[in-house]
Amino acid sequence: MTAMIHEQHNMTPTVETKMTARDVKVFYGEKQAIKGVSIDVDMDNVTAFIGPSGCGKSTFLRTLNRMNDTVASARVEGTITLDGEDIYAPSMDVVQLRARVGMVFQKPNPFPKSIYENIAYGPRIHGLAHGKADLEVIVEKSLRRAGLWDEVKDRLHDSGTALSGGQQQRLCIGRAIAVEPEVILMDEPCSALDPIATAKIEELIHELRGRYAIVIVTHNMQQAARVSQRTAFFHLGELVEYGVTSDIFTNPRQERTKDYITGRYG
Amino acid sequence: MSATPTVPKRLPTDWKSDAMRKRIARRYAAERRFKLAGLLAVGLSAAFLAFLLFSMLGNGLRGFTRTEIAVQVDFPASPLLLDPNAITDQALANANLPMVTGAVVKKALGADAEEWVSPTAWTVLRDRIKADPRILGRIETIKLPASTAIDLAAKSQGSPDAEAAVNRLSKARLISTGFNWGFLTLSDGTDPTQVGIWGAFKGTLLTMLVTLALSFPVGVATAVYLEEYARKNWMTDVIEVSINNLAAVPSIIFGLLGLSIFLNVLHLPRSASLVGGMTLALMTMPVIVIAGRNAIKSVPPSIRDAALGVGASPVQVVFHHVLPLALPGILTGTIIGMARALGETAPLLMIGMRAFIATPPGGITDPATVLPVQIFLWSDEVSKGFVEKTSAAIIVLLVFLLAMNGLAIYLRNKFERRW
Repeated sequence: MTAMIHEQHNMTPTVETKMTARDVKVFYGEKQAIKGVSIDVDMDNVTAFIGPSGCGKSTFLRTLNRMNDTVASARVEGTITLDGEDIYAPSMDVVQLRARVGMVFQKPNPFPKSIYENIAYGPRIHGLAHGKADLEVIVEKSLRRAGLWDEVKDRLHDSGTALSGGQQQRLCIGRAIAVEPEVILMDEPCSALDPIATAKIEELIHELRGRYAIVIVTHNMQQAARVSQRTAFFHLGELVEYGVTSDIFTNPRQERTKDYITGRYG
Repeated sequence: MSATPTVPKRLPTDWKSDAMRKRIARRYAAERRFKLAGLLAVGLSAAFLAFLLFSMLGNGLRGFTRTEIAVQVDFPASPLLLDPNAITDQALANANLPMVTGAVVKKALGADAEEWVSPTAWTVLRDRIKADPRILGRIETIKLPASTAIDLAAKSQGSPDAEAAVNRLSKARLISTGFNWGFLTLSDGTDPTQVGIWGAFKGTLLTMLVTLALSFPVGVATAVYLEEYARKNWMTDVIEVSINNLAAVPSIIFGLLGLSIFLNVLHLPRSASLVGGMTLALMTMPVIVIAGRNAIKSVPPSIRDAALGVGASPVQVVFHHVLPLALPGILTGTIIGMARALGETAPLLMIGMRAFIATPPGGITDPATVLPVQIFLWSDEVSKGFVEKTSAAIIVLLVFLLAMNGLAIYLRNKFERRW
């Protein structure tokens, strides 16, 4: 099914734009961390943000679901829209926004509760489940989609923190999926994982593609090349280059991009 | 540009040299000295604790026992004018039981024996008659509480006269020692053989309940607000400094505050657990706020991120995630604050809880006293019989404290979770 939709979209060149950012600037107190970034995130492609440490890619990612609101000194300028709706408008409810734009963090951070509770928490607070049986269906579906069901189906009531690092991260992805978001933001989801766990997460990203708009921040350029169809290169708070992943890696238009992907700095 | 600097050649290190050996010896010596100092410190504090416990138990355990004298009471021959078929409280009150008791004791044990039983021994007769009026037609041996002098002599602390009386009684096998249930069920009184801790214990319970009910919610709410909601600016700095100061204010000042606000302005009842609890809550709250803030601070930010990331509102983040994880720390702080409040005397003196109260409080607005104040009052009494009662009350207080701390450890282990 996913594949069919995917092929259709390949035939039609227009893709559905999910989120747009226009001239976004982020300040931490006096310091400007993001210097006017404009970008479109679409539904059918995985978008990767790459760049050296401190280039602002994570900061920019966190503006997309307003996680920067929790930082007292942070200030955001410019417009970011989700389905054409300004997410920084006063009418936008930030709690609902974060349910629609889910997030997976750098370090796996399951709640210190059972595996079941980890998944069920989001649907429960948003009232997405109608009764206990329905919630159980949601939990199973989410865990299946996160590729974790077969490993944990017999111990759903064990602590989520007792899982291995890779399993924990997939649990966190499952937790994000459980509230049926439209966009999933992943902030270096594999940086704390070993290569085998990383491969599983990458495989999972492939499977989730098309169902959710996925934005992934990564340090690892091979990973960006493997999982994404669009890549944005950030440097010193600027968006240097944004395009089809294969173009960025084989035929970068900007000197700085070329230097970075050839390992000149970073 | 510049000549390469000449680096002086380093000699190879001789790990076996004398200097090296001495350095090692010094290091080991320092290690031993430090260990010894630590052991000394621990030993000293353990010794003080042991001394406290032994002296308390030595004096106090006697307070839990009482001496009784078996007296043969010949009811038909006694000057008691009571109709076995019409025993009422009024009739018993009119029967002049104290005089009757004196008479039967004299008859049974001799002319000077009236001094040997407690002045309140007649209440035992009253209760026996009330329980079974048919006793009035029989000759019965009844155990009466001994007077303070005899009680002390039986515990080998009395005067020569009393010792002699005890010797005579024990030869006749009329004297016995039993557990003093009255000490756990009675309240304050003037006769040391007839006082109990129950009134003060109940007063303590009620006062602590009021303290907990006021200081815990207010303290936790303050901690949560300051940590999770308040903007960090000079106002929060001022509040933080004030709270830290409040935690260090001498307790007598809180007592004066309670006196001038709760009693003089709000006209709440004097000597009541309510006012005592409110005053102690003022003292306990800053401790809970400080402990609560530290506990909330130590909840990893990644948990907050995770909850916000699935769309939890700030209140949901606090109540579903932060507070449950901070609970062990908050509870520990609460119990420390409560334990401090439990031992407070000074502020309660200010609000009138040092009054002589002979009936246990029925509610939080009734006049009451608390254990430490009771200890303070008894330690001030002239009668020698109060010495062991004071120590026994201290044991009750320490057991209460131990139970509270045990509960704290239990709760902390129960709620402690790893993340």
